[in-house]
Amino acid sequence: MTPNEKDYMDRYIYQVIRRLPKAQRDEVRMELEELISDMYADKGSMEKVLTQLGDPAEFSKQYQNNRQYLIGPEYFETYLWFVKVVLICAAVPILVISLVNAISEMPMVTSQNAAPVVIRAIVDGLTAGITNALLSCISSFGAVTLTFAIMERKKNQFEMKKAETWSVEKLEEDKKTDASRWTPKFLEPVPDKKAIISRGDSMAGIVFIVIFSVLLVFAPHFFAAIFTEGETVTAVPVFHLEKWGMILPIFVLSLLIGLVDEILRLVVGCYCKLVMISNIVCGAIQIVLSAVVLKVLPIWNPDFVVELQLALGDQAESAAKFLTYWNADMVSNGLLSFIIAITLFEIGMTIYKTLRYGVCIKKP
Amino acid sequence: MGEEKDILSTLLLELRRGSLTISVLSQMKEPKYGYALVQSLEEKGVAIDPNTLYPLLRRLENQGLLESRWETGGAKPRKYYQRTAYGTGIYEQLKAYWENLSAGMERLLREEEA
Repeated sequence: MTPNEKDYMDRYIYQVIRRLPKAQRDEVRMELEELISDMYADKGSMEKVLTQLGDPAEFSKQYQNNRQYLIGPEYFETYLWFVKVVLICAAVPILVISLVNAISEMPMVTSQNAAPVVIRAIVDGLTAGITNALLSCISSFGAVTLTFAIMERKKNQFEMKKAETWSVEKLEEDKKTDASRWTPKFLEPVPDKKAIISRGDSMAGIVFIVIFSVLLVFAPHFFAAIFTEGETVTAVPVFHLEKWGMILPIFVLSLLIGLVDEILRLVVGCYCKLVMISNIVCGAIQIVLSAVVLKVLPIWNPDFVVELQLALGDQAESAAKFLTYWNADMVSNGLLSFIIAITLFEIGMTIYKTLRYGVCIKKP
Repeated sequence: MGEEKDILSTLLLELRRGSLTISVLSQMKEPKYGYALVQSLEEKGVAIDPNTLYPLLRRLENQGLLESRWETGGAKPRKYYQRTAYGTGIYEQLKAYWENLSAGMERLLREEEA
């Protein structure tokens, strides 16, 4: 074998093994060195040998018989639907917000400069909007894909466990063929119509979660009391924007947990033990996180009343009555009780539907 | 036309896949290394591409039907494969099934001719 031919052999082997899991590479390299030198001794030309072996990528594929996908065919359709909904919810509000932002920050329009100022504002708005929309689309795409990928992996583990318990039963009962063989008894009952979770049911939840998250991330200043006084617009933010970096992650995490729960519901497709447990756990975490955000973190703008009075100016007197009622603690408590009530109601509905109609829990 | 060729090659691949496993197992009573197996199968009229055979040998080893060891005594290291006792048991069952199947196939295909 000439050095040149040896070089070609090494190149070929490298192209095969670089596509294989690390643990297999050394062994396969030795096997291929043996094979190619045997074939070379037989045929006498490296070119002939490598041509016969064909594309190294194809060769490598023959070695890989494991699953090579992130999201399998079973979940793929639900996944696609979910991505579409989430991307639309993530992109559209941002574009709208950015345009509104740009126009509200537009300098005074006079009859001479109207066209360039408006065009400038729209271009600025669109540029910022597209950048932010791209960012939020990428992160929400990532979050949804990650959740589905984890569920895909968990599903495999779950099915493997199921197979194991069957084999254990097989040993205990000493009925080797009967226990492992599929019988019609394994058929789960068709879920009651009321137990099926449709995409429509989850739609409202998903749209709310995504739009609310996007607003909290990109436009927390939109949650504000807005006044128009002649030509000028004043906005008094409700949230404590200086501390936003600390508050936002927990806020968004709580919303994301809701999203994970929605994904799980859709993937499973009907009320059962798993959906019920997930709903209870996610609901509990959301209540705890909401309590942290509302009661522990400084979420409210501490100067809200002062800024509001400033903004209102001489109208302050008439609004004074309202301002005396503004009490951050009370608002927090009110919101928290509202969130707890909604979450408990949802959990209650899920438990009721699972126990009443659920398929996996009801004994046939 | 291209589609017909694709369908045919997919069907042929499916048809060959199972039969290659039996062919390989049948030759592994004595230890053999990869390329010697390629040649002996080819001589007996069952051609197999080396790029199919080597991964197949690994799979059969993972399934416990074959075992392997590296011989480092010769001019270069060689990996020898041999059937395990478990592999022989499986092979005997496959063989019986194959004989049954091919007798049945024979009858089916003759029927068409008659």
